[in-house]
Amino acid sequence: MSDALNPGGARPNVVLLSLGLAGLLAWVVFDAVSVAPNRIVSGQGHGAWDVAGWPGLVASLAPMLAMLALAWRPSRRHLRLALGLVVAMLAALPAWLALAAARLIESEMPQARLGIGAGVWVALFLLLLAMVELRTRLALPRLLGGALLLPPLMSLAVWLASGLEPLALRQELLARRDGFIAAIGEHLLLVGAAVAISLLLGVAIALAMRRWVRCRTLGFALLNSLQTIPSLALFGLLLAPLAWLAAHVEWLAALGVSGIGWAPALLALVGYSLLPMVRNTFVALDEVDTGVIDAARGMGMSRGQIFRQVRLPLAAPVILEGIRITTVQAIGLAAVAALIGAGGLGTFIFQGLGQAAMDMVLLGALPILVMALVADALLGALSDRLRQGAAS
Amino acid sequence: MIELIGVSKRFGQTTAVDDISLRMAPGELSVLVGTSGCGKSTTLRMINRLIEHSDGEIHIDGQQIRGFREETLRRRMGYAIQSTGLFPHWTVARNIGLVPRLLKWPASRIHARVESLMTMLGLPMDEFADKMPRQLSGGQAQRVGVARALAADPDILLMDEPFGALDPITRETLQHELRELQARLQKTIVFVTHDMDEALRLADRLVVMDQGRIRQQGHPLALLREPADGFVASLLGGEDRGLKEAALLTVGERMMPLGAKPLPGERISRHATLREALSMMLWRHAERLVVIDDQGMAIGELSLRRLVGARSHE
Ligand SMILES: Nc1ncnc2c1ncn2[C@@H]1O[C@H](COP(=O)(O)OP(=O)(O)OP(=O)(O)O)[C@@H](O)[C@H]1O
Ligand SMILES: [Mg+2]
Repeated sequence: MSDALNPGGARPNVVLLSLGLAGLLAWVVFDAVSVAPNRIVSGQGHGAWDVAGWPGLVASLAPMLAMLALAWRPSRRHLRLALGLVVAMLAALPAWLALAAARLIESEMPQARLGIGAGVWVALFLLLLAMVELRTRLALPRLLGGALLLPPLMSLAVWLASGLEPLALRQELLARRDGFIAAIGEHLLLVGAAVAISLLLGVAIALAMRRWVRCRTLGFALLNSLQTIPSLALFGLLLAPLAWLAAHVEWLAALGVSGIGWAPALLALVGYSLLPMVRNTFVALDEVDTGVIDAARGMGMSRGQIFRQVRLPLAAPVILEGIRITTVQAIGLAAVAALIGAGGLGTFIFQGLGQAAMDMVLLGALPILVMALVADALLGALSDRLRQGAAS
Repeated sequence: MIELIGVSKRFGQTTAVDDISLRMAPGELSVLVGTSGCGKSTTLRMINRLIEHSDGEIHIDGQQIRGFREETLRRRMGYAIQSTGLFPHWTVARNIGLVPRLLKWPASRIHARVESLMTMLGLPMDEFADKMPRQLSGGQAQRVGVARALAADPDILLMDEPFGALDPITRETLQHELRELQARLQKTIVFVTHDMDEALRLADRLVVMDQGRIRQQGHPLALLREPADGFVASLLGGEDRGLKEAALLTVGERMMPLGAKPLPGERISRHATLREALSMMLWRHAERLVVIDDQGMAIGELSLRRLVGARSHE
């Protein structure tokens, strides 16, 4: 709500109010953390009261109450202050966990593990939502919105270095540090390769479809049907032919192609990525104003010049949108690839599920979430910028 | 000079242009008119090979256009269209400098050329050079389109409804500017329009087309006075033809030079058209007007009789 429309900030911001109230409730009612003596035994839950006692609990509620008050009269200044509070609260969450670790875990329990409870998870989730709402209301540019996450992340890094040693997630991570880093690498490589291949293929297919009308209907029909096969089934479908290929073509086998592993995973990811990539590229190239192209030809530009200087730059924002959708989708789908031995962060998720170790599942899931959000924000910002350049 | 000899264009079964022959002399402004779909745009676009003709020959300065590389041919001709076709991702200055850049002019020469064109078309450099096309009004965008067509100083200018979709006042301003430009630069211009007043005002040669053929061509006054058939007559204005003709003649041509006695009465410039004079007579209920020169001196008298009288033009 802008100051001009709403000078005194008279109408309360309902979204922020509900987020804040829900957060307060979760903070007080749900467990803040759980403490287990070792990895095998399941933990014992502790509420916020256990963590900080009465004065501490009240103090922890204060910023949330202040934010509610600001949301009651949401002038621009108030919203800015609220955003500051939200960022501060996010940054304080790791400190809160460290406080819990210090107060609830005795020093004669070196194996003890601190699990993050529902209260803190819900608070984290709601605060992030509040941040999105505030960012939209204040019309902050995407990159600045992203930069606001830096203070909380830095706080997390500091507390992880000292104070949060018993955190179960941290211990899972330390126990598998090499595996974790390798898994991130595999995941990124798989996604990067899939997006790069489908971009090249997608542009080639889109160009062919623009050239030959018959390719068009056939192409879209094929890609659409590919998209409807469930991911695991597609991985399965690729198993037999690839295994056969690996058995009969020596150099493919030497490359490491087989029925399971990275080859079918990559193929399936490319398969899923092609439709959004081709659709966006095709529409982008096709929808460039015919008057502009006619003028370009009439001025004496060659075909290559028209494509490079006119059609491609005008289509670029929409093509980039296709890359964004494809990338985010591939980051998520690549997790499933772990099931056929392609590695990546999915490995932790499925192993963790098998061992009923939720912290291990999180170790796989959280980075995937972060990667998807970062890819989305960066590519979205780039697309916005291109669009501005093209249209302003 | 542009010459079309027995040119035809077929799109599959339909014949868009059917065996037309046309000669457009240097410095001449030819206007193609006709009902929608009669082949005006096709004719225009065959000249710069945006469309390849099926039969006949098209010559530019005596050379067959098929002898040129397409791009070379087009860079020699200006091309302006109704939708302007400005590149939305380029600034106004960059748009105007397109063809000179394709011709690899040095940057300083391009800059100077763009500046002089923008000044000529009433688009001050410091205000408009860095604007994007979507920040322009319709009239400004069409001016930029014309500037871009003129940029490499081509001898030939092809214009397909370049002032379409503009309000009458802006349109008239641009027509006036084009006329002035033409008087100075002496291009060979081929112009397509649906607006008959615009056609009559601009044309040195009016070409009436129907179903891919040329029905009649010549000076607008000649066509108005002796239309070849009913189609030409009705296209040129039917019942209004008298008024259209009056719009092409000036008061100075019909007035009676003044004797010694300056008369009282309504005054009209000698550059005004007969149509304007008639309108003033109707409006003022006057049978005669006093004609004045640029200094406001009475130099003659125009009576209703003289206005409608003998054709003293040629
Ligand atoms: N690329 C094409 N393919 C098939 N037919 C075409 C093509 N271009 C034009 N035509 C046909 O040729 C005929 C003449 O078209 P043209 O565009 O020259 O008309 P026009 O006189 O410019 O009409 P308008 O005043 O509506 O612009 C029309 O019947 C049109 O349908
Ligand atoms: Mg046309």
